[in-house]
Amino acid sequence: MTTATRKAKMAAVGTIGIALIVVGCTPGTANPTTSATTTTAGGGISTAVPTEPVTLTLAFIDNPDMTDALADAFQAKYPQVTIETQFTQFADYVKSLRLSMSSDSAPDIAQYNPALKDLSAAGLVVDLTGYEEEYGWDAKFPKSALDQLRVDDTGKILGTGSLVAVPGGLSLVGLYYNKSLMQEAGINAPPTTVDELTADLAKAKAADITGLALGGLDYGSLHAWAGLMNSMANTSDWRDWINGTAGANIVTPDAIAATTVFAEWTKNGYAPDSANGTTEADSATAFAKGDGLFLVDGNWDAAAIGKTMGDNVGFTVFPPAAAGNKTVGTGFSVSYMLSSKGKHQAAAAAFLDFLSSPEAAVIESNGGFLPPNAKAAPPATGVQADLQAANEKVVSDDGLMAFPDFAAPAMIDSLTSGLQQVTAGRMEPKAFLESLQKVWTAYHGG
Amino acid sequence: MAANSTNVVRERSGDTSVRGSSDRPGASRRVRRARWIGYAYLAPAGTLYLLFVLVPGIHTVWLSLFRWDGVTVGKWVGLTNYREVAENPLLRGAMVHALVLITFFAGFSIIVGLLMAAILGRHRRSGMTFYRVVFFLPQIVPMVAVGITWRWMYTENGAVNQILRAIGLDSITQAWLGSFTLALPAVGLIGTWALSGLCFVLFLSGAQKIDNSLYEAARMDGAGAVREFFAVTLPALRGEIAVALTITVVAALASFDIVYVTTNGSPGNTTTVPGLLVYRLAFTGGQVGVASALAVTLTVLIIGIVVLIQRLTRETT
Repeated sequence: MTTATRKAKMAAVGTIGIALIVVGCTPGTANPTTSATTTTAGGGISTAVPTEPVTLTLAFIDNPDMTDALADAFQAKYPQVTIETQFTQFADYVKSLRLSMSSDSAPDIAQYNPALKDLSAAGLVVDLTGYEEEYGWDAKFPKSALDQLRVDDTGKILGTGSLVAVPGGLSLVGLYYNKSLMQEAGINAPPTTVDELTADLAKAKAADITGLALGGLDYGSLHAWAGLMNSMANTSDWRDWINGTAGANIVTPDAIAATTVFAEWTKNGYAPDSANGTTEADSATAFAKGDGLFLVDGNWDAAAIGKTMGDNVGFTVFPPAAAGNKTVGTGFSVSYMLSSKGKHQAAAAAFLDFLSSPEAAVIESNGGFLPPNAKAAPPATGVQADLQAANEKVVSDDGLMAFPDFAAPAMIDSLTSGLQQVTAGRMEPKAFLESLQKVWTAYHGG
Repeated sequence: MAANSTNVVRERSGDTSVRGSSDRPGASRRVRRARWIGYAYLAPAGTLYLLFVLVPGIHTVWLSLFRWDGVTVGKWVGLTNYREVAENPLLRGAMVHALVLITFFAGFSIIVGLLMAAILGRHRRSGMTFYRVVFFLPQIVPMVAVGITWRWMYTENGAVNQILRAIGLDSITQAWLGSFTLALPAVGLIGTWALSGLCFVLFLSGAQKIDNSLYEAARMDGAGAVREFFAVTLPALRGEIAVALTITVVAALASFDIVYVTTNGSPGNTTTVPGLLVYRLAFTGGQVGVASALAVTLTVLIIGIVVLIQRLTRETT
């Protein structure tokens, strides 16, 4: 035998060997059917926090100060409970939490993210419905904020089924306005209907002012379009579509009308031509610098915008289609879920309940979020006060609407590229909505 | 067998005790042991390569035969995912964009690199190290930083438009990455900027190996700078060009970081590349099978093109 053929043979044997090792199993884990049943709704749930010392671990992303402060305040209230916080970068969070939640060293409490909604189907997180009843969370948290955190047993449909997490701080998208530019354009008050908003944009254009600071490079100016959808589309149809409820369809006359308004805004020059080449963050910066009468953006930019503009900026809910309609606003929450492997679930559930307390409301507000206990928010001034008023309005109207990209994992890409094409006049509103429905159907089925 | 053994022994030139001993009895056994020692030396690197390159590679091929969301149990679907890669216009479009990027990453980079090497390499001059460092600099800056910087430069009021305005070209200024026709070339030019320096340094070191007498002969025959370049420099750099071509073409086809941080496929999917879609499908789309199939297809395509480049350049050298 020559060396060459022997080498080839060895390589072949080696390769097959590796292939056998790798190929041994079907990817994925089967549902653990036995481990997840500690918490069915109703009787037998204990909310008693243990009197002996216990230690809980808490994994989180977003806002380190706020989560740490919440943990500290909770420990002050329950000295026997120690919370150890574990911070993970956002970029790695979903991936690393997926692994750690299915491991034996799962954190007791973990910050929830919609990308993790399938964890409940895999039986890795506690169904909180029982605690919800015991603690009376329906009265302590806004219904629409809790409903966003319900996932059915397929792990695909939101707004129904098990409660998987509890909100600790809400976010809300609305309309920022520049007061001095409003005066310059001859506008007396912020718009109260979509038609008024369109008319104001026309006035701004006539006064040679950029009407809407729009940035679509990263997410296709999603918030402005979602604002119009919230106001003009049928609320329950729109919510069903985002939640993934069977049979939902986004290609409706009112959705087409809403998208058409969006298309006409850009077509009529109410937004800068550079919108598709500007990031969301850059559009907020442009607005703060005075280039733009309006900006559709979330509370997360309020601190920076308020710092630059001071009293010159105001915030209001995105105006409804008709005056007197219920307020609907895009928003979600920083929320926390419990591992079904946790040994001290009652203590962990007490932490979730604590999120609705007045002490927590102050921490959440200082952390840049809107407290679910809206009335307990600490007094604020300027744009922060406007935000709290808007939050109270949305909470009392039960009008919190999840982000449209929650509809399916791949939805954000279709939303982004589609809205960029609508912005550039390269796609008809109906074709855009049909492209979204295609992605929706591919994920949820017809 | 004997001939082979001698070869092995000769290769172990440092080991004087074995050298030239193949005619003595017992040599063959010693040699065989020596060969196994060679494999032992290879083992650490080989094990790492096996564990972190070959095994994941084969695993990817295996995954490409499933419909799998990354969490729940996968379903065997055979070659369906490969049909999806061939038929889905979004995935096909990404392949086309990657081919367009070859023009910028490979074509323009090599032309710019050759030009700079021709200008700077013709005569020895002081400060050569300085030029080399400056032109090579883009190579050592992380691509993510490069991408973010260029994204700023391409904005409405960014450096690119400021320069255009300064030279009176106000009429063509725009937010470059927002243009449906110009975003892809704009991204491609970032690749040209990043890779030209690498090509230049490669060509310069090649050009410095050229015998000066060739240039003298060419000059005596009355060749100017241009003629010299085409008659002497270019043919001598064939090997370097082949290396540059391989590196830059692979960079274009496997591009991810530049696109991800500048446009993320925007606007309207006009700048998507396969690497970006692999990432999207696997980590946000929950379609690990299709992502794996696309990755395998891309790998096969890259290997094919690299083999082709090697073939073409081997014939001529």
